[in-house]
Amino acid sequence: MFTIIRKLSWKRTHLICVLFASVVILSGWSAFHDPVVNGLFKFVYPANFGNRINEAADNLTTNQGVYLGRLLFYEKKLSANNQISCGSCHQQERAFTDGLALSKGVDDVLTTRNSMSLVNLLWTRKFFWDGRAASLEDQADFPLTNPHEMGQSLAVSADKIKNDSQYPSLFKMVYGDERITGDRIKKAISQFERTLISAGSLYDQYLADRYKPTEQQLRGIILFKNCEHCHGGVKNYKEVFHNNGLDLEYKDGGIQVITGLAADAGRFKVPTLRNIAVTGPYMHDGRFKTLGEVIDHYSDHIANSSALSSFIQGRSEINSDKMLRLTKIEKEDLMSFLNMLTDTAFLHTAAFSDPNLLSIKSK
Amino acid sequence: MYTQLKNHIVFLLFVAIVPFTVTAQTETSQSIVKVSGEVLTPFNITLASLKEYKQTTVIRKDKDGKDHTYLGVEVSELLEKAGATLNKDLRGENLTKYMLAEASDGYQVIFALAELDGGFADRKIILTTNVDGHPLPANEGPFRIIVSDEKLPARCIRQLTSLAVKFAN
Repeated sequence: MFTIIRKLSWKRTHLICVLFASVVILSGWSAFHDPVVNGLFKFVYPANFGNRINEAADNLTTNQGVYLGRLLFYEKKLSANNQISCGSCHQQERAFTDGLALSKGVDDVLTTRNSMSLVNLLWTRKFFWDGRAASLEDQADFPLTNPHEMGQSLAVSADKIKNDSQYPSLFKMVYGDERITGDRIKKAISQFERTLISAGSLYDQYLADRYKPTEQQLRGIILFKNCEHCHGGVKNYKEVFHNNGLDLEYKDGGIQVITGLAADAGRFKVPTLRNIAVTGPYMHDGRFKTLGEVIDHYSDHIANSSALSSFIQGRSEINSDKMLRLTKIEKEDLMSFLNMLTDTAFLHTAAFSDPNLLSIKSK
Repeated sequence: MYTQLKNHIVFLLFVAIVPFTVTAQTETSQSIVKVSGEVLTPFNITLASLKEYKQTTVIRKDKDGKDHTYLGVEVSELLEKAGATLNKDLRGENLTKYMLAEASDGYQVIFALAELDGGFADRKIILTTNVDGHPLPANEGPFRIIVSDEKLPARCIRQLTSLAVKFAN
């Protein structure tokens, strides 16, 4: 009698397991292939990030727009040689950078500046190292059409993807008709990029009182207060532009190239420090391979040019007595804090990944 | 003969070079402050044009904790020139307007229009180019806002490039 009951429950347990596994597999497979629930996209972020967001009035973010934008972000047909997508120079596991000092475009020529991390762009108002674009939609023009990046006119891109059976219906779902245009491509990609929100680092958890830092991290937090004027804030980004003492003479004038003003010489965006441990090489030209080299620069090697940011003036090699001169232990403490800014979940969130790879995996 | 020829060549070279030198000078970019937004006539403030306005002096402490004398023009005068709704027009919904000041490094601060209007407040908020009798140093100027009687200098924005009047939404 007991044996029969045991046999029955064993069979039932197996059945339940099989059913459960089927549900998991099916839901995993359908996560991307299910029809999109049309409607406005709901951004989720901590209250302390604030609501000063930069979303174009004529391009409100929708679920269907993000779905299409993600496909286009990873679409290699948008490049002249069909080999490069936005995701080539902006790889998720590197917080949407590419691990290179300078990136190679369709013509094998290197870009002039380092690939920037794509994160928390919903709050960004000035794009590129020189802040020359005021919206994601405007900035998208450059990488898509620059001959040393994706190298293809928007009209050609639109024409190429018209022949891909999945796109006309998706464009209809997002824009109301099947017309594929460069403007619509840029808008959809921008919608996807606005969803790249990172708010799950140890530092975020510390601010929310859900993580107790180690002694070393706490020392790093205190040391970092010296850097907060340019790098502070809950998003680890302040959207300011400074000459950070890299050079006395400039191969790349930065914002001066645009304004022609001496005060803007060597002035570049102070980039986000979020996920900074995985976004090397560093600086606008990728000159520093490691974070250690970056800390060494601010501690020991500031070049005192006339355009040097007033916030680090008096710390130059010329006035060596005024340098920060951090000790080895202080540098390690600072590094320990910077490692707190890595948002591991952001680097692996399925919703940000290449959907083509997901499809291959599920098959 | 040889000396004369040499003098001629030097003169010709001088005549040939001077126009290029002048061109190079005129092509050098000039710092400006752009006045824009909810104004009738947007315009650009230059160092020279600032001298056309009534000059006002403000003495206040800077980050170094010492008093400094700043010479400049009241911001309200500049906004009036642009046709912003100040004085008798600063009422009703216009009281929800503010001025966004931005520096070349991207730093931004705001002032409610009512803070800038002499009818509401006595304190002076000036656009200065001169401190203690000298032009502002490069890392502060050439344009800076100075707010009298404000404890922190955080709104004394350096390297000013833009004043934009906006409605609060």
